[in-house]
Amino acid sequence: MYRTYWIAWGVLLALTLTMVVLDRAPLPYGVFLIVMLTAMLVKATVIAAYFMHLRFERWPLVLAIVLGLPINAAILYILIVPDARRIFEMINR
Amino acid sequence: MAIEILERPVAPAAHPVVPDYPLGAGWRKVMMWTFIITDGLLFAGFLASYGYARLSASRWPAQHDVFSLGYLAAMTFVLISSSATMASAVEAARLNQWKAVVRFTLLTLAGGTVFLGMQAYEWAHVIGEGATLVHNPWGDPAFGSYFFLLTGFHGSHVLTGLIVLGSTAVRSSRRRSSAEGVEMAGLYWHFVDLVWVFIFTLFYLV
Repeated sequence: MYRTYWIAWGVLLALTLTMVVLDRAPLPYGVFLIVMLTAMLVKATVIAAYFMHLRFERWPLVLAIVLGLPINAAILYILIVPDARRIFEMINR
Repeated sequence: MAIEILERPVAPAAHPVVPDYPLGAGWRKVMMWTFIITDGLLFAGFLASYGYARLSASRWPAQHDVFSLGYLAAMTFVLISSSATMASAVEAARLNQWKAVVRFTLLTLAGGTVFLGMQAYEWAHVIGEGATLVHNPWGDPAFGSYFFLLTGFHGSHVLTGLIVLGSTAVRSSRRRSSAEGVEMAGLYWHFVDLVWVFIFTLFYLV
């Protein structure tokens, strides 16, 4: 397992370096955004899967986590954002 | 019924999955993950409001004019490396090699301390340039607010992690820690690393 962790470390490091180098690359903003967000999600997946062992857990726990966070975030977003918008517009009127 | 559940054996650490439990993991791990999800929601909320503020801002400064990306890459390197040493500490605990656990935990602690020191230096630099919560010399006032909010909350999580790691190191050196305990400290530390991945990309790069 030690080996797996240090391979994950290498992958994370390589991705970070790529991101920093690409920051100065002359890319259109849309492409830049997609590349950066993809790299971010790959890094997050590597950390969750290997460092946090999700790859070795049973699927009910994995689903509870991987689906639980976005579903809860979406519910909070739907409940809070319309009201926040209303107050924001009320203040700035 | 309840007593029967309580009398089940305590789950061993990490990947020997416990088939008897509903989620294949002991209650400590399930509760730790529950905490991580709720704490993740906190950062998701911050990042969502940051996105909203940034899209409605008149003039958002170019990040590489304000921060040194090389310095940030070094900070990220330190944090990722400390995550790798923490994963190694969890593995050593699973293999019952407690000397290695202490060594790897102390390495992680050192990495976390360096990261926090670098963040403090960055804050001192940004404050020295005249940035406050409501004003900054580079552009929209929200830029300063969200810089201090995001990195401040992340930094406070790192600080909490350092306390947890310190106690894990001391307990492990006295052989009073369980493999599962080290694993829980590890989960928290990796979560701090995970949050940094999002802040690094969404605040400093994109």
